[in-house]
Amino acid sequence: MEKKLKAIKQQILTAIERGESLKIIGGNSKVFLGRDTVGSEINMADYSGVISYEPTELYITVRAGTLLSVITKLLAEQGQMLAFEPAEINDKTTIGGVIATGLSGPRRPYSGSARDFVLGVRCINGLAKELSFGGQVMKNVAGYDLSRLMTGAYGTLGIITEVTLKVLPQSEFESTGVKVVSRQQALSEIHDISSRAAPVSASCYDGEKMIVRFSGNEKFVKESLKSTGFEEYKKGNEFWKELRDYNLSIFHTDKPIWRLSVPSASNVNLENDDYLIDWGGSQYWLASDRSPNEIFTMADDLGGSALLFRGGDRNGDVFQPLSSGLFKLQQELKRAFDPHKVLNLEKMYVNI
Amino acid sequence: MKFEGLKQILPDNALLLSEESRRVYECDALSAHRVMPGCVVLPNSVEQVQAVLKYCYTNDIPVVARGAGTGLSGGAMPHEDGVLLSLAKFDQIAEVDPLQKIARVQPGVRNLAISAAAKPYGLYYAPDPSSQIACTIGGNVAENSGGVHSLKYGLTVHNILQIKIVTIEGELITLGSHALDTPGYDLLALFTGSEGMLGVIVEVTVKLLPKPPCSRVLLAAFDDIEKAGNSVAGIIANGIIPAGLEMMDKAAIRAVEDFIHAGYPIDAEAILLCELDGSEEEMLANISKVENLLNEYGAIEVRIARDDDESQRFWAGRKAAFPAVGRIAPDYYCMDGTIPRKHIAKVLSEINALSEKYKLAVVNVFHAGDGNLHPLILYDVAISDELKRAEEFGSEILELCISVGGTITGEHGVGVEKIREMCVQFSENELQQFHAVKKAFDAKGLLNPGKAVPTLNRCAEFGAMHVHQGKDKFPELERF
Repeated sequence: MEKKLKAIKQQILTAIERGESLKIIGGNSKVFLGRDTVGSEINMADYSGVISYEPTELYITVRAGTLLSVITKLLAEQGQMLAFEPAEINDKTTIGGVIATGLSGPRRPYSGSARDFVLGVRCINGLAKELSFGGQVMKNVAGYDLSRLMTGAYGTLGIITEVTLKVLPQSEFESTGVKVVSRQQALSEIHDISSRAAPVSASCYDGEKMIVRFSGNEKFVKESLKSTGFEEYKKGNEFWKELRDYNLSIFHTDKPIWRLSVPSASNVNLENDDYLIDWGGSQYWLASDRSPNEIFTMADDLGGSALLFRGGDRNGDVFQPLSSGLFKLQQELKRAFDPHKVLNLEKMYVNI
Repeated sequence: MKFEGLKQILPDNALLLSEESRRVYECDALSAHRVMPGCVVLPNSVEQVQAVLKYCYTNDIPVVARGAGTGLSGGAMPHEDGVLLSLAKFDQIAEVDPLQKIARVQPGVRNLAISAAAKPYGLYYAPDPSSQIACTIGGNVAENSGGVHSLKYGLTVHNILQIKIVTIEGELITLGSHALDTPGYDLLALFTGSEGMLGVIVEVTVKLLPKPPCSRVLLAAFDDIEKAGNSVAGIIANGIIPAGLEMMDKAAIRAVEDFIHAGYPIDAEAILLCELDGSEEEMLANISKVENLLNEYGAIEVRIARDDDESQRFWAGRKAAFPAVGRIAPDYYCMDGTIPRKHIAKVLSEINALSEKYKLAVVNVFHAGDGNLHPLILYDVAISDELKRAEEFGSEILELCISVGGTITGEHGVGVEKIREMCVQFSENELQQFHAVKKAFDAKGLLNPGKAVPTLNRCAEFGAMHVHQGKDKFPELERF
């Protein structure tokens, strides 16, 4: 394993010398994400293995190339889970890719996001320096929080080699409810339910039905399902898995797929696009041929952002364009970690 | 006078130059470290903050931002040639939105005032540092404050959505958004806990949570600290995440009992307070599970609060721990290391050994659920070398925390206090990366200079270069 790290550092130094850039690959399961980038590959899939897992300390430390499926299985054996419910695609997804992209699944509004569960990260920056930030304890405010900064940075600040994540007990009991309602009704009901401390752990609307997952104490879950007028959805488990893994019918399309992240009470103009609303009204999936500009403007007007998730022009803007002040800060940060622009060049934005 | 120009920017009475008016600001709650600020400014609008920072940037004047001054690590300790920027006048709650469950507030709003404003909607703001009655949300963000309930409900970083900051160049920038995910690098996370080194926070949007319908506290007494520690691991291993899980050692129990007579069992070596919340069904089920576990792990007594009042009484002792200690010693020094929970017994026995070595008593209270220790070292500043001994004692405790895989600060921040131990916790490369990040925001190094991240030279001066695996960490630096 030491050899692998040495090889990575050498690859970086060589790239600096030649003025080239490097493309970081994990399991290649989310290669469709982000802007197209060039350069020779650094493959992290073979840098794998669980370094330490202590259920009573609520953390797991793993090498970046470890398969997510290996981790979830290991946690499940101890009745624990990654509470941000990351997508597992074709059993190829690695934990490094999960953290580098920072995407979270259906449970996110109720349990927290990928970055919320990051306790520590080891990485190699664009100067081939090995760094370690954070640790294995829940509370740690020594130094800047660079492990959370690495989360969702798409490998542009450093190559993640090791991650420590907080884990949580699985819910004692889960049940999914379904009811046919209008979009307006679905949004208002979900706000209603979630302000009543009901044990909701996921909620979405697919254009016809509202689907809500309740998790927690068995008696309370059953009562909540009943008192909110839901019918039990027998295929609940498969449904959440398909939503989590971008496998529901909305994702099977030739049209570009957009992900909108908006304030939960937003009134999104859906026109005639196929859509699915997740995260209690704060995440929209659209299959749309509308121009990127139109969608970015709409998201911005709502106080949110859009991400061209899959398809479309991968050389144009994929992430919501940033204000000039923010963009400048991001450029400066890129310079602080990777001054020679070696790592995943322009994966997120042009000139970063 | 380099501060004269600030008069043009600020309203009357918002620039303090006289010695007596500046005196109030010479320290935060780490009162052993005092510096008189060059001047104090009290702006009341974002535009004024922008103008002050622009002025300081142009004239190369250091700036230290300050909230309520309740910080425990000297993060708001002034700079003698600099501006002390108080955010005290930013004390307005801009909006509470019960539908989105958020509150948008100015940085000088007190932590507890947010929950008070949210209460009519059945909502509250979760992080509850022990100073919550006085500390402000801007300071909470700067320090990434935790509290008694952070095991279940998270730290400040988990409970905020958006902040507005002013850069040292005077530019107003929004980090995060009212949506859950925001594009680009996660600057909101980076800024949280950055101790005023990267910019000045002028607005915060926090998440609000529905108040749990029920909560109840259990009190368990142990005749052995290790059994108490094991029971903490046992509760978590059984899939229960309590809202709060606190431990106190014998010295703390006695100090508290003498002070407020909470009814704690004074013969116990340790007590554990465990708060369980949720729906009634959930809470009752967990109470009976935890009660059984505590007995299984050898508790000599388990009490279950009968109602909210009794729960409050159980908590009262823990919450009075600091003032209770203040009563038995002229001064105390509060430490803040975090360790993996499994090492609690080992670390406590080593702290007791250090207590003998330094001939200073120590009282231990801690957030056992997340392994965050608060040893209080008792000393008397009037006795010649007691402060020095207390600081050395504290420093050894922090190094002990690092050696068992923990960290030097769980929630109080580095400030000026733990700057030396940063040289032990981080390597040269890591410190250099921190400095590069600082430079990205503040190339001139004007914001809170000398805090949070030590320069490599300073580490060398401290002689804190502990030899790691036979390798000197800073071979290229001169020693003097």
